[in-house]
Amino acid sequence: MTAYLSRRLLQTVPLLFGISIVLFAVIQAAPGGPEASLLETGRFIDPEVIEAYRQRLGVDQPIPVQYLRWLSAVLVGDLGVSFSTTRPVVEMIAERLPATLILMGSAFVLAAVVAAFLGIAGAVRPHTALDHAGTTLSFVGLAMPVFWFALILQLVFAVRLGWLPVAGTQTVGDTSFGDRLLHLVLPAVVLSFRYIAGWSRYLRASLASELRADYIRTARAKGLPERTVVGVHAVRNALIPVVSIMALNLADLFSGAVITETVFAWPGIGRMFVQAMFSRDYPLLMGILLLGSTMVVVFNLVADVVYGALDPRIRYE
Amino acid sequence: MTSDNLRDRDRIEELLGVGGPAAVRARRFAVVLCIAVFAVACSQSPAGDRPAARRADGDGGRKILRIAYEREIDVLNALTSQNLVDIHFSMAEGLVTTDENNNYIPVLAREIPTEDNGLIERRDDGTVDITWSLQEGVRWHDGQPFTSRDVCFTWGFVTSEGSQTYNRDQYLGIIDCRMPDEHTAVFTWDDEYGYYAGLFEVILPAHVLDGMSTDQIVNYTPYNRGAETPGTGPFRFAEWKSGEYIRVVRNEDYWRGADYPAIDEIVWTFIPDSNTRLNSMKARQFDYARLEPVHADEVKDLEGYELHLVSSNTFMHLDLSVNDERGRTLFGDRDVRRAIFHAIDRPAIAEQLMQGTVTVAHTPLNPTSPYHNPEVPTYDFDPELSRRLLDAAGWIPGADGIRQKDGERFAFVMLNRAGTADRLAIAQVAQAQLKAVGIEVVFETLESAAWSQRWRGGNWEAMVSGWFLPADPSLTNIYSCDGSNNMTGMCNVELDEVLLRSDRALGFSARKPLLDEAQVLLAETAHSLPIYYNVVPELVSRRVKGYRGSGTNFGSFWNLYAWDIIE
Repeated sequence: MTAYLSRRLLQTVPLLFGISIVLFAVIQAAPGGPEASLLETGRFIDPEVIEAYRQRLGVDQPIPVQYLRWLSAVLVGDLGVSFSTTRPVVEMIAERLPATLILMGSAFVLAAVVAAFLGIAGAVRPHTALDHAGTTLSFVGLAMPVFWFALILQLVFAVRLGWLPVAGTQTVGDTSFGDRLLHLVLPAVVLSFRYIAGWSRYLRASLASELRADYIRTARAKGLPERTVVGVHAVRNALIPVVSIMALNLADLFSGAVITETVFAWPGIGRMFVQAMFSRDYPLLMGILLLGSTMVVVFNLVADVVYGALDPRIRYE
Repeated sequence: MTSDNLRDRDRIEELLGVGGPAAVRARRFAVVLCIAVFAVACSQSPAGDRPAARRADGDGGRKILRIAYEREIDVLNALTSQNLVDIHFSMAEGLVTTDENNNYIPVLAREIPTEDNGLIERRDDGTVDITWSLQEGVRWHDGQPFTSRDVCFTWGFVTSEGSQTYNRDQYLGIIDCRMPDEHTAVFTWDDEYGYYAGLFEVILPAHVLDGMSTDQIVNYTPYNRGAETPGTGPFRFAEWKSGEYIRVVRNEDYWRGADYPAIDEIVWTFIPDSNTRLNSMKARQFDYARLEPVHADEVKDLEGYELHLVSSNTFMHLDLSVNDERGRTLFGDRDVRRAIFHAIDRPAIAEQLMQGTVTVAHTPLNPTSPYHNPEVPTYDFDPELSRRLLDAAGWIPGADGIRQKDGERFAFVMLNRAGTADRLAIAQVAQAQLKAVGIEVVFETLESAAWSQRWRGGNWEAMVSGWFLPADPSLTNIYSCDGSNNMTGMCNVELDEVLLRSDRALGFSARKPLLDEAQVLLAETAHSLPIYYNVVPELVSRRVKGYRGSGTNFGSFWNLYAWDIIE
């Protein structure tokens, strides 16, 4: 197992290196440069200022040169300095990461609980009212454009009913936990919808087929209570496909959700990414994208390890 | 990076697979549920029945101004920031600011130098000395005195190579800065420059930044981020929570006296989505927000708030490029350009598209500016005249209804910038109306940064665009033959001469007639069709007193020191 893990970890190094080349190329392929943000306001700009700006940032150099500069800094642990804020990229990401982790984490937990409940209920008692409600929820979650759904929830719960704040993470000046929790509700619910829909359908389908398997009949035949049959035997096996999809989704924990964060003015990574994209802040973009890619790779590895725990037949050498 | 889309959708539908009776019923449920949620959202609750604003009740008698602000700023150094305005001006001050009528008024300067008050002196060698006497008793937020040294230091920084100040070129006429005493700074200009009074929007603290190279200052985080960012303004920096808000608190030592400012604290909360800002205002969580013109109707009767439609120095216009051969073939003839202008119904754009919130523009300078000339030639909507002009110029309708001349079809590309709904809508109107006179317009829409690149590269034929003019009325930059921001490639020798002379004229009475003439010539030469002056809907709580609104480059917060909150 240790050998397997270290081999897999070693493999990630060339993988990430390759990814970084592709990312850098893609980012640079987008037309326009960081000087675009100077022009955003429509003011007259001294053209020499634009040239000096490009020179200072080094974007007047050929792309391979820029990449090598970036890479040589990264190899010694320096992700560079953001074009627009002149601050270290690592610092900026670290600052935004907690907000994204809290939001995504809450959405995940919420989604996991609801999805498990709906998935299991739907598989055990198909075509009942509860199952239909779950299916409905899935469809709604799937069909709803996120920004629209978010704005509607704001209108209902913040503007009309006044129960929840419209946006942000806290009322400025109020540091209580309750206030933060209230701010978390709407964005977390909006985000959880897209996971609930997927996860509960996977679990329902997977569990339904497990429940028809021979070993379940055997378990029932030997007189085990239905709780144990479903809860211990079937669910465990049914989780395998669900785990792989959840693991991939888990990488989102670190990259955030662009639209939800923007609509709810949530200070997360996703919103910072959009800003960085519009202003062609290459170092910041690379930093965020690399973090995202690393997490995808890592969580894939985690998923593989979890398979082993769920299914003793899967062994890694 | 996820886009909030369900990327697993296909697989999930595969899993759902059958789409049997359950799925059909579920779909019905979903439809009903959607309708229900939507109905609640749209239902009108009776007036006065709305819940009280959810504010932190712990203000403890402190007057806190809460602002829903549309974007997070980059750095606090006002002279290197790419969005100098508002937040910076709450903390930093310059020699001058402008009121809502584009008038320069002194701030850290005691008065604005003019020839009449004797503070402008022409010397025999052609140079001009302009003397700025400074307010006395002004202290930076860290207690250091503000002196002429700060003014000369700021000049040195802006004009240094790589300072990144957007209008650096305007400062380059200053060849020397002298400090006869602590409260007097004298600039020596190498010539006469009419725009001398609009510079130095902000003064930098020499005692913090002196001794550093330009590059070090640009990258100096303690100043950029608030740790060491003293200003002289009514508010001092308190806190910057990345992605969330900037908080500034009352400067107890403000030079205008103990009565100013009246407000204890301002919180600028960053809410990039305009619909979220709208909802936040409806939920009464903020005192001020800038909204979109489409929101104006929805909030004009919002209880406790007043909607101000602030006419901005940004003017929308249609530009026709003569940068390349094809541009000159199509738009080289002035009568053809006039024909295009006469084909476009601007009053309809203002009345219908913009719901009457804007006024049609005939010249770049807003009527709020004392330099605005109301007597310029106008291009009234007259498709018949347009057709006659095109016929006379030799552009004859072809078989497909599109005009032709020497085998060339009159068809051009309008370059649009994605995400600017107003400009896109104007372009669509222009497209339809030009078609009616036999001119074909096709669209190419690019994302902002890509658009900027094409625009500055001169690689385009026509576009709807907006310039944000400073309060200073110089138009030389965009319309003179060698103007550094002349994007259309236009060159009218007569206009050029008047523009350059207007830049060399000191004082209103000398400049005004020249700029009046320039505005007439600009309209006559017809390279750029002004459409309307942008309107910024600003929604302000009725608790806020002292707000005057302003569409200049100094914005509506220019007189923050005089604002108050009265319950």
